[in-house]
Amino acid sequence: MHLNFRFLSNPIFIGLLKQGVKNTLIIASLCIIFGFLLGIIFALMRRSKIKALRIVSTVWVDFLRNTPFLVQLFFFYYGLPQLGIQTNPLVTSVIALSINSSAVNCEVIRSGLMAVKKSYYECAEALGFSYVQTLRYFVLPISLRVAFKPLVNNFINLILTTSVCFSITVVELMGACKVINGRVDRPFEIYILLLIAYCIITFVLSFVSKIIDKRIAVEL
Amino acid sequence: MQEAHVYGKYAHFAISDLFTFLSSCGTTLAVTLISLFLGSVLGVVIGLIRCSHNKVIRTIPLIFIEPLRNSPLVVQLFLVYYGLPVVMGTLLDVYSAAILTLSLNTAAFFSVLVHNSIKAVPTAQWEVGYALGHGKASTFIHIIAQQAVRLLIPQAITLYIGQLQCSSILSLISLRDLCRVGQLLTVRTMQPFIVWGIVFFLYYAISFPLARLAGYLENRLNYSY
Amino acid sequence: MAMIEVKSITKSFGSNVVLRDFSVDFEQNGVTVILGPSGTGKSTLLRCINGLEKTDKGDILVDGLSVNSKRNLRQIRLACGMVFQQTVIFPQMNVMENLILSPIKLLKMPKNEAIDRARFYLKKVGLESKEKSRHNELSGGEQQRIAIARALMMNPKALLLDEVTSALDPEMTREVLNILESLASDGVCMLCVTHEMQFAKDVASRVLFLDGGKLICDTGKEEFFSTARKENERINKFLSFIGD
Repeated sequence: MHLNFRFLSNPIFIGLLKQGVKNTLIIASLCIIFGFLLGIIFALMRRSKIKALRIVSTVWVDFLRNTPFLVQLFFFYYGLPQLGIQTNPLVTSVIALSINSSAVNCEVIRSGLMAVKKSYYECAEALGFSYVQTLRYFVLPISLRVAFKPLVNNFINLILTTSVCFSITVVELMGACKVINGRVDRPFEIYILLLIAYCIITFVLSFVSKIIDKRIAVEL
Repeated sequence: MQEAHVYGKYAHFAISDLFTFLSSCGTTLAVTLISLFLGSVLGVVIGLIRCSHNKVIRTIPLIFIEPLRNSPLVVQLFLVYYGLPVVMGTLLDVYSAAILTLSLNTAAFFSVLVHNSIKAVPTAQWEVGYALGHGKASTFIHIIAQQAVRLLIPQAITLYIGQLQCSSILSLISLRDLCRVGQLLTVRTMQPFIVWGIVFFLYYAISFPLARLAGYLENRLNYSY
Repeated sequence: MAMIEVKSITKSFGSNVVLRDFSVDFEQNGVTVILGPSGTGKSTLLRCINGLEKTDKGDILVDGLSVNSKRNLRQIRLACGMVFQQTVIFPQMNVMENLILSPIKLLKMPKNEAIDRARFYLKKVGLESKEKSRHNELSGGEQQRIAIARALMMNPKALLLDEVTSALDPEMTREVLNILESLASDGVCMLCVTHEMQFAKDVASRVLFLDGGKLICDTGKEEFFSTARKENERINKFLSFIGD
């Protein structure tokens, strides 16, 4: 068995990889932001006093968590044009993945919200804060700190999941590697390098998140 | 008129498509179940090794576990399906590659669950075992294992549901599972909402009862130490 | 017009009627101590005044504003600082941030002014060295003193104190009561629900005695511990029971 990494010195492939990294970063960062915001909204809806909002949120989370992301992705990829919405695959990926991650984020943010006891709400309200202000200044800061670790886990999973988006022709990191493999036919070398690259990304992120978590952790 | 013309280009649903759906559902279930079984067995073995008191033995499985847990399943799948044959000099068929990948992936996650569940049983329980005159193995089998299994079951079901959904990724090497068939039928009929609706429903129908079961068991089997 | 007018309010939790057609007025002066057996609606009265519980019937006017109108709640809560039995010092902020957040956000006070004010009140409660501490570095008594300072930051017309010492050990209780006594001598208006008889004897200017959701007795301190005690069997029993 001869390993051959010569393809790494080809500037065309380096350019492809750079584009792949760029697209992965774009998808991941946009989805982290949208997925997080949607997660907060659905978690708050889940705890709302209005029954309809609770039901919508429950169904949303249940459905998304019990169906595969890839199927959701194909649904948007084939479904949106049918509705007359023309998008490019990158946008479709961002939409599908944001929606998908909103469900898992909703679950961990909800458990963070449950960690904030009633006395906190009362104390803030007695100081004269309105409900929205109480959420903004006290409840969300506390619950997001509590939920920080599982949230970062979700984000890391999300980054790993972006690799599926190559299946709808997005040239992200995985897609770029697939294209390169198509040219040089060195699957073992390419995919093992890719696997190591993803491992490094997750290790670095979880290392950083541990440091941050130590600094912002709260004891309730 | 325009509309009709466009539709005219594509084939309509046929009765046989229902059978295609059912058989693909069978493929998904078969591949997933075999992988979950193999993965769980391997996972238990690795999980037990992770509980060893010897630091070196305890660390070795991490070399296997961590890459599998920290990289995307697609990459692992492509590495096994396209990369491994090059190294080994033999061809792998789609099913073996799919089952091999999903089993290894499951094993990595399962071993962590096993390890955590065993560690979650308080050390006092071990001491009680020794005090009653049990040996190490005997204490583990008679006292620790049962409690660990109780902690493990709900988490395991949650993992299984996750893996069932991950099995859709296997369609990317043309395994004719539910997701793949959905894709093929969409391209043929150009009726994405019906096709993916059915696919959604089938995955949901398998997954949702399991999710409820996990939630139920979690409340039911919950120990409070 | 009294500062707080409680006009025949009724409040029940499920089938349990806690306050029954209850009326009382509070002027903005001195320390009013509210006594009574557990579960007779003392805390509920304070919580109703602050709008944390909605009354079933009747009305409460604070500074002429009704608690039944949602729009008045903020005004009312700014006028009445409240401190609870279970204090909450918000864990994501240090003591100073806890103190200055509400004046800055609600009164639009400039930050410098808020910090100066916070230092003044921290000194008042004897915790000027704890400015940078977090809630888990403070004892229960210290947390309670911070909570009092935090309520005072808003310059309230009255302090509502809901069994502030009940969760504390005797030493910490003393710390907190000392602070309250010094505030009383500064002329801060307070409504206290408490079981501390010595505190009532020392600083109260007026004593309310509640039982079964009704006002049994409303007098000055001396009368309460002498005349009222002799005349009213219920009060006598209560006081003897607490060991007075």
